[in-house]
Amino acid sequence: MASRILTALRALFRKRDVEGQLDEEVRFHIEMETRKLSARGLPPAEARRQALMAFGGVEKHKEEARDATGARVLETLLQDIRYGARGLRRNPVFTFAAVATLALGIGANAAIFSVVHGVFLQALPYGGGESLVRLRQDAPGINVTDPPFSPVEINDYAGRNRTLTGLAEYHSMWFVLLGKSEPERVQTGVVAANYFDVMGVKPILGRTFRPGEDAPGAEPLLILSHDYWMRSWGGDKGIVGKGLRMNDRVHTVIGVLPPMPAYPDENDVYMPVSACPFRGRPEMYHDRSRRMVQVFGRVKPGVTVAAASADLNSIAQDLAAKEPKFYPEKGTGFALTAVSLRDELTQSARPTFLVLFGIVGLVLLLACANVANLTLARLLRRRRELALRGALGACRLRLARQLVTESTLVALAGGALGVLFAAGGLKLLVAFAARFTPRAREISIDGPVLLFALVVSLATGIAFGLIPAFSARRGLSEALQEGGDRSTGGVVRHRMRSALIVVQVAISFTILIGAGLMIRSLWKLQGVDPGFAIGRVLTTRLDLNFTKYTDPAKRWAFEKQILERLAGQPGVVSAAIAGSFPLNETGPNSGRFEIEGKPVPSDDLRPQAEFQRVSSDYFSTIGVPLVAGRAFTGADTDETPKVAAVSRSLARRFWGAKDPVGERISFDRGKSWITIVGVAGDVRQYGLASAPPDEIYLALPQFPTLSGSLLVRTSGSPLSLTKTVAATVHSIDPDQPVDRFRSLDEARSNALASPRLTATLLSLFAALALAVTCAGLAGVIAFTVGERRQEFGIRMALGAEPRSVLRLVLNQAMKLVLAGLALGLLGAHLLARLMSDLLFEVRATDPPTFLAMSVVLVAVALLASFFPARRATTVDPIATLRST
Amino acid sequence: MTRTDLLQGTLDVLILKTLRSAPMHGWGISQRIQQLSEDVLQVNQGSLYPALYRLEGKGWIRSEWGASENNRRARFYELTKKGLRQLAEEEEGWERFAQAVSRVLAAS
Repeated sequence: MASRILTALRALFRKRDVEGQLDEEVRFHIEMETRKLSARGLPPAEARRQALMAFGGVEKHKEEARDATGARVLETLLQDIRYGARGLRRNPVFTFAAVATLALGIGANAAIFSVVHGVFLQALPYGGGESLVRLRQDAPGINVTDPPFSPVEINDYAGRNRTLTGLAEYHSMWFVLLGKSEPERVQTGVVAANYFDVMGVKPILGRTFRPGEDAPGAEPLLILSHDYWMRSWGGDKGIVGKGLRMNDRVHTVIGVLPPMPAYPDENDVYMPVSACPFRGRPEMYHDRSRRMVQVFGRVKPGVTVAAASADLNSIAQDLAAKEPKFYPEKGTGFALTAVSLRDELTQSARPTFLVLFGIVGLVLLLACANVANLTLARLLRRRRELALRGALGACRLRLARQLVTESTLVALAGGALGVLFAAGGLKLLVAFAARFTPRAREISIDGPVLLFALVVSLATGIAFGLIPAFSARRGLSEALQEGGDRSTGGVVRHRMRSALIVVQVAISFTILIGAGLMIRSLWKLQGVDPGFAIGRVLTTRLDLNFTKYTDPAKRWAFEKQILERLAGQPGVVSAAIAGSFPLNETGPNSGRFEIEGKPVPSDDLRPQAEFQRVSSDYFSTIGVPLVAGRAFTGADTDETPKVAAVSRSLARRFWGAKDPVGERISFDRGKSWITIVGVAGDVRQYGLASAPPDEIYLALPQFPTLSGSLLVRTSGSPLSLTKTVAATVHSIDPDQPVDRFRSLDEARSNALASPRLTATLLSLFAALALAVTCAGLAGVIAFTVGERRQEFGIRMALGAEPRSVLRLVLNQAMKLVLAGLALGLLGAHLLARLMSDLLFEVRATDPPTFLAMSVVLVAVALLASFFPARRATTVDPIATLRST
Repeated sequence: MTRTDLLQGTLDVLILKTLRSAPMHGWGISQRIQQLSEDVLQVNQGSLYPALYRLEGKGWIRSEWGASENNRRARFYELTKKGLRQLAEEEEGWERFAQAVSRVLAAS
């Protein structure tokens, strides 16, 4: 094969040479034949004539001989390309329309494929990442999902499993790092010494932790994440060996990590468990109930995730049987599962990008149908030329090949432009994907994406080139026989164009439904009452340095001072401090409580709620309405009886219609009681799509917290108060970091951002699809009107009203649109089912959406066909009759 | 005398056979086949050159420009080793085929 290609190539490059040789050889042959015949006594002229006759068609044989060299294929290909390019240049409108349509189609596919490849297909950015798992435990019977593990439990699992090669603990905390010009709040991964070995992460600078460096009493060490190292230390290579002050101790930097997904958290630095002031406490090492960490592991080669889960589960059952008081439901224990890290990293991105990938596939199909249609229109105009070429001896195959070559040229140009589009939109796409997966940073337009774009372009070119080529095959000989305007080939092609329009309408409708459902869902989300007044509220993180504020009373004293000083500032309406606030990334803590007079059979069956520690002005600052009783006041201090407020849903769940004010609850199994003084409205704590949780509010002076947020209601723009707030805090404690300034409105739009972006993307695709389809429809109608000019002229000469002619044409258009709509219903139904995971309170069969989109489609299609159809009514009957 | 058109594919084996004795130009090959078959086989000139190019493409023969008997520039074809092997195979195949046909004809 290779040698044949080589021969063909050589023959091609020596084409002139070969041609000359062939000529000479044939000349020689005829000369010899002539000479032989003359020798038999024929006159020279007659001899030559007979020799030529004996040889047959000189040109034909030369052609055949040339074909036999193999150069033919390449030669005609180049010729086709040259011819095609010339034709395309001569027809800039067609070329522009076709290339632009395909660029959009292929560009959209390349863009979404870059996500599919970067997030779902390519290897995880950890050494041997496919065997990594995260362990999770659940006790569905008592409504506990995915709680943390205790280090003691991890030791049990590590020592007794038979399916894992390594197990490493992890948790993350915020600490204050001193030593730079301003105190810095750093998110810190607290890990076992083997963590980076288990995860397969090699440092780019220095080293990772060694065995024993996480033992109690070990020197505090620090490893920097790549992002933090670049951001805060400017990529300083001399950082290794430096000592950084954190938690009143000096930590030695031993290494810098490579860029990694922000998973499990977006950590700035990592420290061994012994260096963490909380995890490092002695009781953490022997108290089974101190559950605060996560566990990552690596399964042995050949072991499935299911087998690992089963292995771990049997250990869990055993632990629960031996230590029943530490496990739920008297010894039934937790159900253990090993979840593959790949799923952890990509699962939540899957539904959205599956839908998007499906949609862009449809867009490409539509682009193909549209360009095939354009090509057919062009063919109809070129049928004489094609017929002529056929008559001059170009074989059908050759003509079909010519068409496919042209379409492939167009598709490749479209593909190249499309890749540029995709590259241009990459940044936006990465930001979008980052809302769903920590792998977003791995998305790029790289080799596989380019290869994908190339393959798609070629396939597209061949596909939309073959459709017209197929119809051209049948049309040619007939076009030649008739030579007129209305060849049978024209009819075949016209029917094909109608079919293509039906397909385009169907695809447009499918995408319209997708967009419609997303928009409906977004509307519903936007209409959700979050339970608080968004308004002008500035929020900022306020994490106290716990080494400084060891005494709970000191914490509240500091926070009280902040609130007091802020109250006098211009622009401040009110201020509050709370453990968390609604729609924040870090929610409140959840826990169990007990209601006085309503005993439960076991601790595990005590009711659950979210606990929010809030200062007195919290409710008024963020606008949570008070339904009954009172809010906290300055009079609720650590010296007065403890008070609480509950959310309305909690009140209704446990007290029904009765007012719970005055009832008492306990967190410590009845040792101390807290009186309910108020009922607050329900708040969507975890996002607009999730139901408001049961909440218990506690008075901050009575339950001081180390980590929380400062909330300030402002009279002007919230963010304009940033400096004032920071200055106020620093006037009390210059070492207190204040960061992450955001308005509450931002938190809300952030919660809406993913569905909004998805809806925007789908709407964009739908609008594009509709525009392309309508342009195609208008083109077909215009052509029909042109073809049937005489007929319309005669009709009107015989007395037909222009209106009835118009109706005739529009009827034809509507037939196509309705056929497409019917077909599209099928596609829309499938797409809607695929989308059900993305929708909020909208069913996949939402009748208003289907109705509205049908109306939109039919209306736009009618409008698009109206203008070309109107031309039918302007036909001058007399002129037409004369010309007939 | 009846002249028989060559069967498809048999031209190849005849060309190879002809070239076995000596390199030859196209016209020479056609004359030689006609001559050896005592004018029974008529080489269609038109199919001769495509066949030559095809065989060259397959590497069974190679060509070279040289001087003809009347001192004209002519392209001479000669058998390659690969062509020689191919000829042996085709001869054997042809033998079997001819025998088979004879047997069938003799039987009826």
